[in-house]
Amino acid sequence: MLAPTLIKETLATREQSLVAVAEGTDYAVITRKAINAVGGMKRFVKPGDVVVVKPNMGWDRSVELAANTHPLVVRAVVEECLAAGAKKVKVFDNTCNDSRRCYVSSGIESALKGIKGVECKHIETERFKKVTLNGSFLKEWELYDEVLSADVYINVPVAKHHGLSKLTLGLKNIMGIMGGTRGYIHRNLDVALADVNAQVKKHLTIIDATRILTAHGPQGGNIADVKVLNKVIASTDTVAADAYATTLFGMKPSDIPVTVTAYKRGLGEMNLEKIKIVKA
Amino acid sequence: MKLTTARICQLIFLALFLILFVQTEYRGRDEINAAVNAFFRADPLVLFSYLLAAKSWNWLLMPAALMTLATLVLGRFFCGWICPLGTILDLLANKSRKGSPIKALKGNFKYWLLLPLLTASLFNINLSGLLDPIAILLRALTFLLYPVLGLAGREGWVGLYRMFGEQRDALTPAYSLIRDNLLPFRDTIYPLAFLSAAILLGIIALERFETRNWCRNICPLGTLLGWLARFSSFSRVSQVLCSDCGKCRDMCPTSFDKNVLYKEECILCMECLQECPHDRISFRPSLKLKGFGPLLPERRVLLGGIAGGLLLSLPIRFRYPEKQSRLLRPPGVRSEDDFLKKCVRCGECMKVCLKNALYPSAYQAGLEGIYTPLVIPRLGYCEYNCTLCGQVCPTGAIPLLPTETKRREVIGKAVFDKNHCLPFARKIDCIVCEEHCPIPEKAIRSRNMQVMGLDGHVRAVKEPYIVEEICNGCGICENVCPLETKAGIEVFAVKNRTPITQVSVGQEASDSYRYN
Repeated sequence: MLAPTLIKETLATREQSLVAVAEGTDYAVITRKAINAVGGMKRFVKPGDVVVVKPNMGWDRSVELAANTHPLVVRAVVEECLAAGAKKVKVFDNTCNDSRRCYVSSGIESALKGIKGVECKHIETERFKKVTLNGSFLKEWELYDEVLSADVYINVPVAKHHGLSKLTLGLKNIMGIMGGTRGYIHRNLDVALADVNAQVKKHLTIIDATRILTAHGPQGGNIADVKVLNKVIASTDTVAADAYATTLFGMKPSDIPVTVTAYKRGLGEMNLEKIKIVKA
Repeated sequence: MKLTTARICQLIFLALFLILFVQTEYRGRDEINAAVNAFFRADPLVLFSYLLAAKSWNWLLMPAALMTLATLVLGRFFCGWICPLGTILDLLANKSRKGSPIKALKGNFKYWLLLPLLTASLFNINLSGLLDPIAILLRALTFLLYPVLGLAGREGWVGLYRMFGEQRDALTPAYSLIRDNLLPFRDTIYPLAFLSAAILLGIIALERFETRNWCRNICPLGTLLGWLARFSSFSRVSQVLCSDCGKCRDMCPTSFDKNVLYKEECILCMECLQECPHDRISFRPSLKLKGFGPLLPERRVLLGGIAGGLLLSLPIRFRYPEKQSRLLRPPGVRSEDDFLKKCVRCGECMKVCLKNALYPSAYQAGLEGIYTPLVIPRLGYCEYNCTLCGQVCPTGAIPLLPTETKRREVIGKAVFDKNHCLPFARKIDCIVCEEHCPIPEKAIRSRNMQVMGLDGHVRAVKEPYIVEEICNGCGICENVCPLETKAGIEVFAVKNRTPITQVSVGQEASDSYRYN
């Protein structure tokens, strides 16, 4: 039973990468539309699965400042997972500012309050496990055990400007499951991110572009830097999702070293003409 | 300890103190409604030393003014009914006491402490918090006992993980309850932890020699309250021991060893009232009360105490200048002199600090600054949107500011050390500091430079720089700098702490910063 599905999925990834883009002002609705356009949550989440939903909630900034994933997008993803039969959905991030303030200010903790089967816990440092990466830059790094042991990992970044990597999208959101002195990887960021992304399978990447931070990222703080786009992007191919999201900033995928490095590593497709983009 | 009204009242206040202590922490809301600072704001010693030092009125200390009035009317009830340290001493009192009172502590010893403290305040050094009983208790709790509790709790929890791995999650609900309501959020190790606990233990050890030894013979707050109590017209009647019984002498925790009840020593515990076999005792207002001893201590002690305060307040000010460059005060503190007049060194700001940026000064601020709070950015930074320290400061030494204002208060200014900072020293990208800088316009920016790498090849590197005009010195850059031990960027103290403006400076730099 398993083998045919595996083969089918392998073939699917060999086929054209699919990026779904939904647009509208009801963020829960467009999130669901985008998920359905890439096959629906049941394609990824099987009954009884433990799912990790990893938003970007690293900064002590309010929702409208676009430094964290929109809480309505996160909630819609979580609800879809539960509707698909997930046993437990875990939502967390290794934050940059004080995690208590980040969980509150991002609006995500309160958006998930009261939903059964959801855990929105703070990071516990003992849970980071050294994982052999054998990458070009990182030979090993500490990753969060809840991600390593989850059945499904859903990556839910917000699209933002970033001082060093120009943009932070799906590939960079992986930093939120890394422990240790994460600042260390800044000295070779593109390669380090490719190293980690190559090891951790993301079943689905959903990029929140309901509003994007166009400057002074990744934490912004000035509403003038925020542009409302009312879009949500979904893809099983993180590189393709990032490539499309780059165009929202008026840039080309080849402008973003993180995307280019991941593409060259074979982690996904970045040529827009080879990606199938569907309006959901 | 029998449960009389006074004893129940004592236990309630001790419980209140401990609950407020635990509550003095971020609990998901920007404002802390009730903090343990209530005890300091009702503390007449804090009030008197503040008034003498700052020479101005402060509405925050209104409860202490009311407490002063109440003491003038009722007497020294604070010590027998409220003081949490007194209650702890009563609870730990060793009934089978062996030693006899220490002679050196008798007589005017307590005035030799109180008078110099108050005089030093007049000369702008507010040291009263060093010997204030509530501050002593709070510091021992904050710097040693509470972190030890947190560490034990957390280590136990981590130990379970090491044994059972993810199966530990079954116990999460129980642990969350303890963690969210009792344990500190983060493990912090403080300097002066042992000294703080040793002072408290010393006070407890003094009980071996005499009941309420600290309260009777040393405590400057008790001495002050006792002096105020002399004017009260509420007292035990009669004030002397009955010739046919004398049982009071054994029960009284403070005064009756001299056959007479000294009003400045009676803490109104009313044990004698409860225990009198003849029902002869009452506590009531009376105009016929006898005063004992002169109103002021003898002239020798008075003048000596004042001279002591003057002597104390000058030489203690010596500071090593090189330590001053890193002497960073909490946000909103603009003048060091003003701060030293108002800070009671109670430790509350350090207890509440969201990112554990505040630590008690051991030597950095000289002898005069011991236990005052300072920011150590490498250990913790000042969170941009947090105003907790200003909320819990009982005297306003750290001002209570709206978030918008606090964000612009200057703690210091960041400076790059190009011998360490990676883009300069090793010609490689980093920019972690810029990423974390919370100023919306970015006080740390970077520019693309073509530089000769250490391998001899020219390459593009982002070189950071600081826009000093909008740096508030929060220290997050120094905190997150990925270099080991010494950071490549450090915050230094500045004299001019005029708040930063919100206008971005250097528009060109800011434009070229977009997308490149």
